Amino acid sequence: MAGSRLERFGTVFSRVRNLMHSGVIKLPEKPIWYDVYEAFPPKRVPLHVKPHTRLCTKKRETVPEVFYKEDNIRAKFYEHYGMGPLPFDLSKSNFVSTCQRFVDKYTEIKSRNAFEDAAVFEETGKALLTEGMVLRGRGARSVSAESRDPVLELKLTDMLAERQSISASSEEKMGCTMHTQTP
Amino acid sequence: MRSRLTFRGTLASMAARALMKGLLGLRPSRAVMVGYSVGGHHYSTAASIKPPPPQIDDSNVTDKILSLPLEKPDFFRVSELVSLKELFDARVHLGHKKGCRHRLMEPYLYGCRLDHDIIDLDQTVEHLQLALNFTAHIAYRGGIILFVSRNRQFCHLVENTAKDCGEYAHTRYWQGGLLTNGNIQYGPGVRLPDLIVFLSTLNSVFQQHVGIRDAAKMNIPSIGVVDSNCNPSLLTYPVPGNDDTPVAMELYCRLFKMTIKRAKDKRKQMELLQGLCSTGPDRL
Repeated sequence: MAGSRLERFGTVFSRVRNLMHSGVIKLPEKPIWYDVYEAFPPKRVPLHVKPHTRLCTKKRETVPEVFYKEDNIRAKFYEHYGMGPLPFDLSKSNFVSTCQRFVDKYTEIKSRNAFEDAAVFEETGKALLTEGMVLRGRGARSVSAESRDPVLELKLTDMLAERQSISASSEEKMGCTMHTQTP
Repeated sequence: MRSRLTFRGTLASMAARALMKGLLGLRPSRAVMVGYSVGGHHYSTAASIKPPPPQIDDSNVTDKILSLPLEKPDFFRVSELVSLKELFDARVHLGHKKGCRHRLMEPYLYGCRLDHDIIDLDQTVEHLQLALNFTAHIAYRGGIILFVSRNRQFCHLVENTAKDCGEYAHTRYWQGGLLTNGNIQYGPGVRLPDLIVFLSTLNSVFQQHVGIRDAAKMNIPSIGVVDSNCNPSLLTYPVPGNDDTPVAMELYCRLFKMTIKRAKDKRKQMELLQGLCSTGPDRL
């Protein structure tokens, strides 16, 4: 069967159509897909596009960045509290993360009373604490009221100094007895 | 019988299909179809030596069978198979990073979220419906469909899909002259595929698969799932979507399998109906 192997000129359909018009492809040899393509053409004509070798100097229209209003709240949350206590479970499509709960609460409080952003932030933290969600803050900031173990407060230098003083006092005692024993 | 293009890994399905074609060839309506084959040899079977009037009826009947589906916009109701929520749950909208983006994919992208490309699922739904509709029509007309994917993770899945719907798959190394040198590699008078479906348009080294260019060379229409790092220009019916997630690939395979099976069942149904309607004794 005759055909045209020029994939860079025209489309598959245009080449076959022209071959049929010129009589190179007879009607019984028409491809199966020809009528279907004619009835249901694609959205974009499948022409070959030459690759750009030279860099485009003019600004091209880029794909838009996707940002939401809640992203401001999310950014503040991550800056303050780091990663939430709960890991993300992406296998569930209806999963609500710690951050998302925070954002929902924030928008709710904001809509109820028109406070400042910082005040609403504090309110949200306290509201979530009452609901039972513990948020460990980054650095010294922490919403939870857990007291530190007194053992952790001990410093190594203090312990060593204590040791040394004990050993010095025992040496003195030893020294006295030694002295008395030697003739 | 027409010789078949042999593809590694699908000999069983190929043999079954050749057998089926042979059986169909003995039926009176199919005997006239042989005359309309694309580049195949014309063999005269015993059934073709029939008196003229039933043959004219046969050609009318086959013409009607073939032209009826083209009149309706969605004859096979493929729009029921595709839903936006299903595509979203299968993570079809997730593209690659901004740095990997192909400039020709920019019209198909919804946006870029923190450097991750998000594919516009509204466009995907439309493109997918067009592609599935085209596949259904080709399968209805008894065309050969070839599934190609060089992604090793899904090669077994693609081969099984092809086997289940009675079509062909090629998920191994693509030799240079597979389509372009078919007559010498497989023997004279080989019947090439009428549609090639690329479930991943990139090969193992992230370059465009040779099959896309070869299909355009041999005037074979192609359908392809194009990710945000692929070139959609030469594909007849591109489908923008994720081609790396297992869930998404399983979805595509399931959709193509269902459309092809639907189309083939419809064809059998139509032939039976026309056989019952026409006034000839012992048609079957």
